[in-house]
Amino acid sequence: MTSSLHYDAVVVGVGVAGLTAAIRLAEGGARVCVLAKGVGSTHLAPGTVDVLGYRPERVEHPAAALPEFVGAHPDHPYALIGPDAIAPALDRFAALIERGPQPGYRYTGGLDRNHLLPTAVGAIRPSALVPETMAAGDARSSVPVCVVGMRVLRDFHASLCAGNIRRAGIPARAVEVEIDVGRVEANSLGLARRFDDESFRAAFVGRLALLLRPGERVALPAVLGLRDPHGAWSDLQRRLGRAVFEVPTLPPSAPGMRVYNALVAALRAAGGRLVLGAEVLDVEREGDRVTGVRAHTSGHDTIYHAGWIVLATGGFASGGIELGSDWAASETILGLSLQGMPRPGEARFTADYFGHQPMAGVGVAVDSSLRARETENVYVAGAALPGAVPWREGSGQGIALATGHFAAQAVLEREGAAATA
Amino acid sequence: MEKLSADVLVIGGGATGAGVAWDAALRGLDVVLVERGDLATGTSGRFHGLLHSGGRYAVKDPSAAHECARENGVVRHVAADCVEDTGGLFVATPFDDPAYADRFAEGCRKTGVPCEEIEPARALREEPRLNPGISRAFRVPDGSIEVWKLVWALARGAQDRGARVLPYHEVVAVHRGGDQVHGARVRNTRTGQELDVEAAVTVSASGAWAGQIAAMAGIEGVHVKPGRGIMIAMSHRLVNTVINRCQLPTDGDIIVPIETVCVIGTTDVGTDDPDDHTIIQAEVDAMLEDGERLVPGFKQARALRVWTGVRPLFEDRKENGATDTRDVTRAHALLDHRERDGVTGFFTITGGKLTTYRLMAEETVDAVCLQLGDARPCTTSAEPLAGSENGEYHRVGDRLGRREQRLLDDQLICECELIPRKRIEETIRWRGTTDLDDLRRLLRLGMGPCQGGFCIYRVAGILHGLDGIDTPDANAGLIDYVRERWKGVWPVLYGDQLRQARLDEWIYQGVLDVEHLQ
Repeated sequence: MTSSLHYDAVVVGVGVAGLTAAIRLAEGGARVCVLAKGVGSTHLAPGTVDVLGYRPERVEHPAAALPEFVGAHPDHPYALIGPDAIAPALDRFAALIERGPQPGYRYTGGLDRNHLLPTAVGAIRPSALVPETMAAGDARSSVPVCVVGMRVLRDFHASLCAGNIRRAGIPARAVEVEIDVGRVEANSLGLARRFDDESFRAAFVGRLALLLRPGERVALPAVLGLRDPHGAWSDLQRRLGRAVFEVPTLPPSAPGMRVYNALVAALRAAGGRLVLGAEVLDVEREGDRVTGVRAHTSGHDTIYHAGWIVLATGGFASGGIELGSDWAASETILGLSLQGMPRPGEARFTADYFGHQPMAGVGVAVDSSLRARETENVYVAGAALPGAVPWREGSGQGIALATGHFAAQAVLEREGAAATA
Repeated sequence: MEKLSADVLVIGGGATGAGVAWDAALRGLDVVLVERGDLATGTSGRFHGLLHSGGRYAVKDPSAAHECARENGVVRHVAADCVEDTGGLFVATPFDDPAYADRFAEGCRKTGVPCEEIEPARALREEPRLNPGISRAFRVPDGSIEVWKLVWALARGAQDRGARVLPYHEVVAVHRGGDQVHGARVRNTRTGQELDVEAAVTVSASGAWAGQIAAMAGIEGVHVKPGRGIMIAMSHRLVNTVINRCQLPTDGDIIVPIETVCVIGTTDVGTDDPDDHTIIQAEVDAMLEDGERLVPGFKQARALRVWTGVRPLFEDRKENGATDTRDVTRAHALLDHRERDGVTGFFTITGGKLTTYRLMAEETVDAVCLQLGDARPCTTSAEPLAGSENGEYHRVGDRLGRREQRLLDDQLICECELIPRKRIEETIRWRGTTDLDDLRRLLRLGMGPCQGGFCIYRVAGILHGLDGIDTPDANAGLIDYVRERWKGVWPVLYGDQLRQARLDEWIYQGVLDVEHLQ
């Protein structure tokens, strides 16, 4: 049995790009439904908003670097939408988080200056906008760092992190705290839930306080709460009487899940709908318009009719684009044509891991309004766009936010034009 | 300069060299083994993992088939813990010459390869992914063998009997005085320190590199033509039995299930340089097509990585010499350079296959003993290796079984290969290594579907936390690992494995930013 539903816009994909587009559409008055096969990249990403970190040398001031960067990369999503489109999207994001379901949790920073934050190996990574819970890690500060590990968490190794922070010129050392979580291993998600609990934090501080030296700031893996991260973090700072900061590590990512929770709450507050576990099977078309998306949800198929489609399914990592063993690549939902594919006979990848990889910049071909070239009403946002190598540029969340916002804006403008016509 | 002295110096730490060291040590000889890299990193560590029944050679090379058939039984007994008793099938696909099947059965009978013809329907019941168009099927006792476990069991057995095993020691000179070889100078490739090893007899078990070692001893014409072959590891076991095409051996006609993966092999392309590991995209594509013939849908499965190995194919180019002076079979070559070249105290053992490593070692040490004038009987066919005493084969579920028992008292560091933290810490201690790649071979760390995506950071952190390595070495280890992994991964990046690789890129370049470590 196939049922049928009608929306103004259907967004496919529930990463930062899809959610940002859907929220903007809903707030603009559109009836929106987000379809997603599963949760998106939020749960894998560190939760920071990286706009431009490397070009390839490290970027200190993204706002100043962006005009030159887009000049040198005319196919980059930032070049398509213009660098001026980034800041409003960041502001919007920060505001959404602040009024989100995690009381007091907020982001800090912006395009003027990148934070320089240690990663779990202690490399220093540039990010424009970061959770307040990470900001005290900035490598420009020379305050000594005590990196705190927990043996139960196999995804964070304090000694290596401290070793590399030291190599970056900041006094640092590592300690390990034994905590009892009832089993020998826990991941970031399990620990983050524990840190939401005040009595757990009190016990943790009881063990940690003895190990700290005067004047040290404290680095902890990014597990300081999921429901109430601001509460957990400020409680730890108060109890320890010093600055505490989170260091993101391997997935699952607690800061990423906070982003997801805040954005989904904002979507719902604006009247949007989210259907998870909805695998898109095929689409209905009229000429070069896509008029509906047929998705398989639990037990039955539903056709979601819509005037506008926003495709935010991501690139190869999330399955939005696939490469077959016959070396043919395809966009998996609509079969849209791709841009940036190496020509037949050209190398697809090269042997140097850190070198140029020709397949890296493949994405859906769009015009300057992010409309997919061969369609009338499909807009593309996020990692499905061509021309970027976000994991190397340090630009992933910046692209997702800015293009998600931009695509929604483009839809709303055309919707508005249609309404007034 | 430090000096070691021994009865026997073995050059080469593959299966043959380790086998020679174990055999000689069991006979009470004092042995030093040197290997330029880690043990089993040359040809031995770069093969598909097949313990031959002999069926593959039953028609083309009967003496090799006979040898394999005999040694298969011996290895199953003495190295049971390294062997998985997968069994093997030879199947005639629609692409094979139908007349070959009868020649195959006849060849097996003549060479003593146990072989039973079964109904194709039965073969398909046992291996449902096989090409449903098969017309004949023969069951043989092929198996798969975990080579690093085998070579380390041999080396540790030899060490327990006094042998000194020196990985990461490369030969820089072979000591020759007049017509006598009396050892070699070796350099520790990690410290740069040199060491003289004085030995009554030197055995070059250096496989495809045997010509280079012989030349160092001033002996010409030991020509080993390296035959390069590619192998592709596929995620998961598409088959649980070794599957061979029933045809004369050719490219891409065998799939070996080993541990959590299966490996398709191989090609055979002559090369001049045994260290040539070039991977040619057209060969990869052809191999995937070959896989499709045996297992429809093969090309949709995840390919984890591709690598190459070189077979040592010996051809003696000594002019007017007394060649083939010993009873060498076509499968391997043992050269007594006293008889061949008038040089005493020097032997070369090359050619052959992993399945016959023990026989090669036995013949070599027999010849060594003969030259030393001290005949001592070989006992390697009766003496099980450590871990294999109870004669039980390795089973693919063993690690999971152990893991289930210890669920509550140990962390899992590598989910793909089910490696617990204590096992890693123990291995770091006994091996005395701080090298991620050494640990990879000993534990199969990072060899599963995610190719180290999660565990390599964890293990680098554990190593560093144990004070095993300083920060620059941990950084270099991590970066080397991701670079090396990529070399075997990029030629087979498509489908879900590309997705996996992209996730790994996000983790290592995005979240951890290892590229910008200082």
